[in-house]
Amino acid sequence: MDAQLLITLTKVLLVIILVLVAFNLSMVFKIKSIDPFKNWNATKINAALLMVFMVLGFIFASWSSVKWAPTFTLVTDPASEHGVPLDAMFWRTMVVCILVTIITNFLLFYFSWKYQERPGQKAHFYPHNNKLELIWTLVPAVVMTLLIADGVKNWHSIMAPDDEIKENALDVEFYARQFDWTIRYGGADQELGQTHIKYIDNATANQLGFNYDDPRTHDDIVVTEVHLPVNVPVHMHIKSQDVLHSATLAHFRVKMDAVPGMPTNFWFTPTETTAARRERLGNPDFNYELSCQQICGSSHWNMRRVVVVETEEEFQAWLASQKPSYQAYKEKFENKNTPSEPAPVEAPAEEAEPANASAEDGDDRATVSTR
Amino acid sequence: MAESTSHVQDGSSTFHADLHAAHGSGHDHHHEQGFLAKYVFSQDHKVIAKQFLFTGMLSAVVGIGLSMLFRLQLAFPDTPFPILESLLGRWAPDGVIDPSFYLALVTMHGTLMVFFVLTAGLSGTFSNYLIPLQVGARDMASGFLNMLSYWAFFLSTVIMFASFFVESGPASGGWTIYPPLSALPQAMSGSGMGMTLWLTSMVFFIASGLLGGINYITTVINLRTKGMTLERLPLNIWAFFLTAILVILSFPVLLAAALLLFLDRSLGTSFYLSDIYIGGEVLHHAGGSPVLFQHLFWFLGHPEVYIVLLPALGIASEVISVNSRKPIFGYKAMVGSMIAIAVLSFIVWAHHMFVTGMNPFLGTVFMLFTLIIAVPSAIKAFNYITTLWRGNLRLTPAMLFAIGLVSFFITGGITGIILGNAALDIPMHDTYFVTAHFHLVMGSASAFGLFAGVYHWFPKMFGKMMNPRLGYIHFWFTFIGLYLVFFPQHFQGLGGVARHYYQFTAFDFMKQFVDLSKYITYAAWIGGAAQLIFFFNFFNSLFWGKKAPQNPWKANTLEWTTPINPGHGNWPGEIPTVYRWPYDYSKPGLEDDYAPQHIPDEDLRYEPGQAPPKPTPAPRREETPSETEGSDNF
Ligand code: HEM
Ligand SMILES: [Cu+2]
Ligand SMILES: [Cu+2]
Repeated sequence: MDAQLLITLTKVLLVIILVLVAFNLSMVFKIKSIDPFKNWNATKINAALLMVFMVLGFIFASWSSVKWAPTFTLVTDPASEHGVPLDAMFWRTMVVCILVTIITNFLLFYFSWKYQERPGQKAHFYPHNNKLELIWTLVPAVVMTLLIADGVKNWHSIMAPDDEIKENALDVEFYARQFDWTIRYGGADQELGQTHIKYIDNATANQLGFNYDDPRTHDDIVVTEVHLPVNVPVHMHIKSQDVLHSATLAHFRVKMDAVPGMPTNFWFTPTETTAARRERLGNPDFNYELSCQQICGSSHWNMRRVVVVETEEEFQAWLASQKPSYQAYKEKFENKNTPSEPAPVEAPAEEAEPANASAEDGDDRATVSTR
Repeated sequence: MAESTSHVQDGSSTFHADLHAAHGSGHDHHHEQGFLAKYVFSQDHKVIAKQFLFTGMLSAVVGIGLSMLFRLQLAFPDTPFPILESLLGRWAPDGVIDPSFYLALVTMHGTLMVFFVLTAGLSGTFSNYLIPLQVGARDMASGFLNMLSYWAFFLSTVIMFASFFVESGPASGGWTIYPPLSALPQAMSGSGMGMTLWLTSMVFFIASGLLGGINYITTVINLRTKGMTLERLPLNIWAFFLTAILVILSFPVLLAAALLLFLDRSLGTSFYLSDIYIGGEVLHHAGGSPVLFQHLFWFLGHPEVYIVLLPALGIASEVISVNSRKPIFGYKAMVGSMIAIAVLSFIVWAHHMFVTGMNPFLGTVFMLFTLIIAVPSAIKAFNYITTLWRGNLRLTPAMLFAIGLVSFFITGGITGIILGNAALDIPMHDTYFVTAHFHLVMGSASAFGLFAGVYHWFPKMFGKMMNPRLGYIHFWFTFIGLYLVFFPQHFQGLGGVARHYYQFTAFDFMKQFVDLSKYITYAAWIGGAAQLIFFFNFFNSLFWGKKAPQNPWKANTLEWTTPINPGHGNWPGEIPTVYRWPYDYSKPGLEDDYAPQHIPDEDLRYEPGQAPPKPTPAPRREETPSETEGSDNF
């Protein structure tokens, strides 16, 4: 402790002494009008520095890119079907970018050094050259056209997938609010029942606003962890109840805003289970993650959900083990109005228990907002 | 054209005469003006320019300061810095920045830097200062509107600063203030009074931009001196001119967007709001669309990024040409690509909205236009580089900053072709990759334009020279600092790190970037501290600098023909006539390596043997000798 204090103090002292010495020197030089750098040629130094900057810059940029490349979640090792052509296109485009950046920056710094002011050197009067300019209009234009063609193709296949995919897709709702995600599955009928904010009722833990008059809601399953079967297309139904959010699944190259009043969609197909990826990466703690990437308020940074990709069987087993939220609702709050359910005696015992996922959800929310 | 030009000339002569009648004779008529009229409510474009500069510098200090604070949070999440508590009070309880306040810091940083520093500070300073001086006018078309423009800006700055001191804190929904977040005080405290002040401030800001823009456009069109055809305008004037057009056409749309947001907030309308449940209740708003706001905002927002960049590019053209002692390469292509950029910038806005739920077909269209805009941008970069080729480069601080600008423009702009590709934008949107892109291409490049301009025109503005050595040191720290800050943000972006995150610790794939954040923060602090060198140099030179000669850089443009400290009216005598374009540097056959615009051919000094073309007997002032064929009907 004390030794550390001493070291820090020494450092501070040293800095102060240095500053004082520099200041003193400069005063002396000023008073005696001495210029210690008189013989330094500023042009030469700056020109040389430009070259040094470029060379070191290229080295540093390459080294750091290679060093950090393993962390590039967004463009390496995609876990979805459309991620594969997308990543390929990214790297193709990146090659163009890197080439252009290196060549033009090289010329910029090289010329700045090479043609630095020298006594007797006269600049070459060269106001234009139409041919040259035509070339560097056409070349970028052609390259851009190729990139656009590539982009349009991918964009369409991602945003408007084939009907076959749409029909076979598993419907999953991603429901955003400040500051968490709720995930909903259609349940036995595989259909998402009707919800609307006007039905939201915290007293009955109806946080998604289920309209229980719609029988399709009765088997809907509400959870706080995303489960997806591998190799099955997923149709994300993205909703928000308050402000803009953005459903982002980085590993799957998925991102779409959640817009209050306007449900949005995204289709994708996961291609690797969590377990398989853990094994392949040798990282038993690996998880796919759902995040929010549209500024939405103070806990925007903390809207995390784990995404579990599993085999179809595992998924079905998991789904079957979940209790539809309607059942919990009925047991707890509707017992008197539903003659078909002869369970009024059981209810009080369960009263203290949180009602399935929705209530657990509420707990999450409380922890989040303490931040 | 020739006729109308001479008519214009008459007009400004009359103005000149008025001026003299009002102030007595001679150019030294300062003494008769009171302090207020001369320095505060001045209508002299040169004074107004300096007012913009100083106000912009103040915003820059605050804006950069804010970024230093939030960088601290990103590098050291959850680490208490007791000094923060004494500095920020309840916004940093126990020395840890509050998450809401983090967003306020980011929002105000973005707002101040984009609008107050790089729009008003850059355009306001140099358009005001240089347009009349370089086109050969005694002042702006309307000195009065010009004065109003500054005071509207001043008011807007005061209101924006005031929002720091309201109870619920300043606006915190990001500089793009997307509703519903910005519309609902229930959603975040910054959307209360702070947001109201933000919107009010922007109303004055927009008014200021429009008043200034109208003036710039009118002055360039109507008040050019005799012989100053459009083809002979310095490129920076072209840039200011096109920028002003962008301002005039796009800022009103922001005004509309802000107005509707204001109505949604205060009168319960539903332009942007629909189906919202918040704070335990269902809001009555129905039928509005948050996406509508984004369309309106980015209809301004994309032109805005060029409003910020074009003046910087214009300044770079001028500085690079002067200091290369060479004509700018491809003058017409430069003007052409600026016009193309200006036009295209109005039809690419939705590339900021690819994944907002907008119709995917729209995405296709906007991807097309967006990638087209890369072509004129590329042309400009190539032309700068070719201008350097076989030049005789004087590496003044201004020149170094201009070279740095081109480097940032390339390195930052190139990632535009990734972001502009709608498919690739799906993963990249709202990550640090975007942050890296626009801080390099817009933030850093434009800031370098501002610096280049200040170093280059300081002798004209203040009659003193800045210390070049401090300029070099400032350049190197800033150049390296900015690259070290923003280049690694590409890595964070590719790693998936989201923008506007208070800390990266909540997600496994983002956690690993906390370390990198530390290095970025160190670089940011060093780069930020280096700006002190600039401020020291600026004020030291202002008061104690070496006296400037009349034309320190041996430039061709008209501003250097005015006295060292020009008075109101700019030229004591007649306004000079222009005989050629501004880029005749190192023209073969001439003795000097420059040929000022106002010196007729027969008065230039020619190398022996390079017999001057026998001056035609025609009297010189009657018709402007045109250098380029057909320039008169340009
Ligand atoms: C080569 C030409 C360029 C293209 C194709 C391009 C494309 C894009 C695209 C598609 C985005 C949206 C990214 C996203 O949010 O996901 C973007 C963001 C941005 N660009 Fe560019 N850009 C180009 C040049 C520029 C220039 C020259 C500037 C400024 C002078 C600029 C400033 C910005 C800014 C400020 C943003 C971010 C705004 C925000 O979200 O806060 N870009 N660019
Ligand atoms: Cu969010
Ligand atoms: Cu844009």
